Amino acid sequence: MGFLQGPLTARCYRVEADPPEGFRAVFPEALNAHAFHEPMSKAWREEVVGWVVTQNLLDTHFERVETWLFNQYAFFSLRVDKKALPAKYLKALLDKRIEAWCQETQAKACPRDVRADLKDALEIELLAKTLPRVQVTECVWNLAERTVWFHSTSEKANERFRRIFHQTFGLVLLPDNPLEWVDETQAEALAGGGAPDLAVEVLP
Amino acid sequence: MTDIAPVLPHLTPEFLTWLWYATERDMGSFALPEGGRFDAWVDDRLSFRTADDDRPRAVLTGENPSGSLEARAALAGGKLVRDLRLGLRREEREYSLVLRGGTLDLQGAKLPGMFKGHEEEALFDRMFLLEELRWLVRTLFQHFAAERTGAAWETDVLPRMQRWVAGEDG
Repeated sequence: MGFLQGPLTARCYRVEADPPEGFRAVFPEALNAHAFHEPMSKAWREEVVGWVVTQNLLDTHFERVETWLFNQYAFFSLRVDKKALPAKYLKALLDKRIEAWCQETQAKACPRDVRADLKDALEIELLAKTLPRVQVTECVWNLAERTVWFHSTSEKANERFRRIFHQTFGLVLLPDNPLEWVDETQAEALAGGGAPDLAVEVLP
Repeated sequence: MTDIAPVLPHLTPEFLTWLWYATERDMGSFALPEGGRFDAWVDDRLSFRTADDDRPRAVLTGENPSGSLEARAALAGGKLVRDLRLGLRREEREYSLVLRGGTLDLQGAKLPGMFKGHEEEALFDRMFLLEELRWLVRTLFQHFAAERTGAAWETDVLPRMQRWVAGEDG
């Protein structure tokens, strides 16, 4: 479900400025520079974030403008991968490894540093075999209207999106604040004086 | 990076409560800025929260929840409208959405039409509809702001809303 079909769950932003002159040449480079890339090692566990072409999350090359720019709409996605190990399974395997080490060395207990080394080795082994959890979230930038829609209302996802958008394009995303939909006098009146919650005020 | 301008938390429940009231008072018909009208109604969901907790404390669903005694009782008991499912119609285009949070995010917004053409055409059509939907919500908020900050708020609108909450609106 996303901008092309199905119900939409999205937050709207205003972009602080127009896209730069010659953005058709500048943006592919910017997107490529912040595109999603698999880490070199297979045993990574930190979050990996980057842009992908919406039509296929494995497509991370933005040179072909026609794959992501449609008239005034720039349409691409943010991919976030993260690997997580099942804690109980990890502990059970570690206990087995410790037991095996104790038998092999005929030690009564496993020293703390050996336990840490065994745990590190086990995590690396498991992470290399684990597929990441993959999240892909679409965004649409109306370049003519200076608005951006991001297909998530999660605060964490939106914070991450705003950060990488700024890193990529050098433009700040501002929330589409309802106070900016009304004239200044009304906005000041609505904002000022700590207006009471209506539902309390209307209590009989 | 510029900090986000603060979004005032009290405005959303006030706006949603006014919207619920205004859809009943005005028979769900609202003026557009450039002329013409559109329809708005509270659809099949209303949820309430307490003043100090954003979690929903009462959720009413099904047919016409806004007309139920429970809904008015929640307001009368001091609960705030947390979110509601709103129906909107302009010309032949009908929308359904939940508005939530200080920036009135869209939750589960349903746009009219079924798009089976090329992806590019679908994007143009859906973005046109999404932008119209946001514009209609913006128009409703502008109606709210005009009433909320107008001279008649204290003398006319608020007393009428109090009677509406108390079920004395005829």
